[in-house]
Amino acid sequence: MNNKGLAFYIKIYGRILAQDLKSKMSYRADFIISMLGMIFTDAAGFITFWIMFRNFSSIQEWEYYEMLFLYGFSLIAITPVQCLLDNNWSLRINVREGDFIKYCFRPINLFFYYESEVFDVKGLGQLGVGVFTLVYAWIKLGLGCNVMMVLKVIVFLISASLFMMAMQNAAAATCFWIENSFYVLDLAFKLKDYAKYPVTIFGPVFRFVFTFVFPIAFIAYYPSLVILRPDNVPLLTWLAPPLGILFFYLSYRFWMLGAMKYNGTGS
Amino acid sequence: MIKKYTTLLKAGVMEMLHFRLSVLVLVAGNMLYLAVIYFLWKAIFDSAGTESVNGMTFESTLIYLVLATALFNFMEMYIVWDMGRTIQSGKIVLDLIKPMDYKNYMFWAFSGNVAAQFFTTFLPTFIVVALVTKGAIPLGTNLIAFAVSVILGIVINFNVDFIVGTICLYTESIWGINIMKQVIVLLFSGATIPLAFFPEGLRRVVDLLPFRAIYDAPLTILLSINGITDDVLYTIAIQIVWVIILEILSRGFWKISLRQITVNGG
Repeated sequence: MNNKGLAFYIKIYGRILAQDLKSKMSYRADFIISMLGMIFTDAAGFITFWIMFRNFSSIQEWEYYEMLFLYGFSLIAITPVQCLLDNNWSLRINVREGDFIKYCFRPINLFFYYESEVFDVKGLGQLGVGVFTLVYAWIKLGLGCNVMMVLKVIVFLISASLFMMAMQNAAAATCFWIENSFYVLDLAFKLKDYAKYPVTIFGPVFRFVFTFVFPIAFIAYYPSLVILRPDNVPLLTWLAPPLGILFFYLSYRFWMLGAMKYNGTGS
Repeated sequence: MIKKYTTLLKAGVMEMLHFRLSVLVLVAGNMLYLAVIYFLWKAIFDSAGTESVNGMTFESTLIYLVLATALFNFMEMYIVWDMGRTIQSGKIVLDLIKPMDYKNYMFWAFSGNVAAQFFTTFLPTFIVVALVTKGAIPLGTNLIAFAVSVILGIVINFNVDFIVGTICLYTESIWGINIMKQVIVLLFSGATIPLAFFPEGLRRVVDLLPFRAIYDAPLTILLSINGITDDVLYTIAIQIVWVIILEILSRGFWKISLRQITVNGG
């Protein structure tokens, strides 16, 4: 099943994506409103920080633009989960109603095929707000810019997004075992809202939970330290890329485990 | 006459109790949220160095936000989703031919959820907060005013939802419309950041909008130490004005929009 090359999968993803976008373009109003809704949500996060810092000058040692940096970073890091894995939201319905069985008979990777079916365009609105916020904070902080920094940001953004994808995958896959798993998925998705805060503000118990159990500290805090606190980068930051790959792989195995034991509904 | 409403209410409560696991996950999620806002505002006030900012202390900010969250979970009806979905699937015609006004039907059908949510989310949170803070919440005549204000808040929230749900007759973008509504309501009602922290200009805008009458009004009344004062009565009066305005708006808008309806087969 996995013996097809990467080039094959990229080609096939392009084909499916084109079909998906074509069908989405026939609902243009929906596309525009969804995009606006996404931008609204993310802009509200920005405004919240703005209001907060009108009253307070810093949170621990973190000032306004550093918080915006974390926020922008987190928005970009959750874009892949929004764009690429959006079909996970339909998983529990497909599984319960039996439609899921049709994905099991294709001669390509099951996970890949299932997720490739939907590309969520409105996630690009999130990406837009995220890039704007990050660049704005970057300039205001006067961090300077060189090739090395940009490379670091890209590598750490990718590893950060792996953590978010892993959490969402694992939460979605619970639907193979429990009913009404919507709330599990919803909870995992809401956790991302806490990723924009420096994990140091939490007490030791929650710091541990947010680092190793629900690894949201890896979505913005740890990776951002590479740029924001270059003289004082903890070991966990450097471990982010391999850990991200590990978490993602584990979530993938968990997802496939559920899919493999799936029997259909008999209809 | 009343019976048809109470039957709907009872059915809603039973539906809610059926999903016990989801209630558990919801409660866990809320506990986590509360822990996060506790640590966040603790860090903020620790860094501020002063006891109170804009008249809010750490304790009063936390009480406000915790109760605002509890109120949100208790009062949220998810009307937009339901209206959007029934409009899209065409099932709305079944609701329209019921021998009951559609808007009244929706309100009473969802009131069961709200009643169940009162006992599962608001009441436990309220008791915990009242016990932990030992007297920060005054327990007197303000509770009566609070009850009245909450009911008005629910009606206002329902009307806002109903108006937004009606928009779904024109566009099929339920997700987008709903998320925009939610963002605006949460921000401008003071549920994310207490309104006391809003800068002057933004405060004036917020005062002109109905959203603060949903969560901020009942909360302010609940936390007012002097029982039923003129301020409390004024707040309730404003809520009543909003109920009337929104009731007229939503009914008018619904009536006009109903001519628009297109149902995809059936």
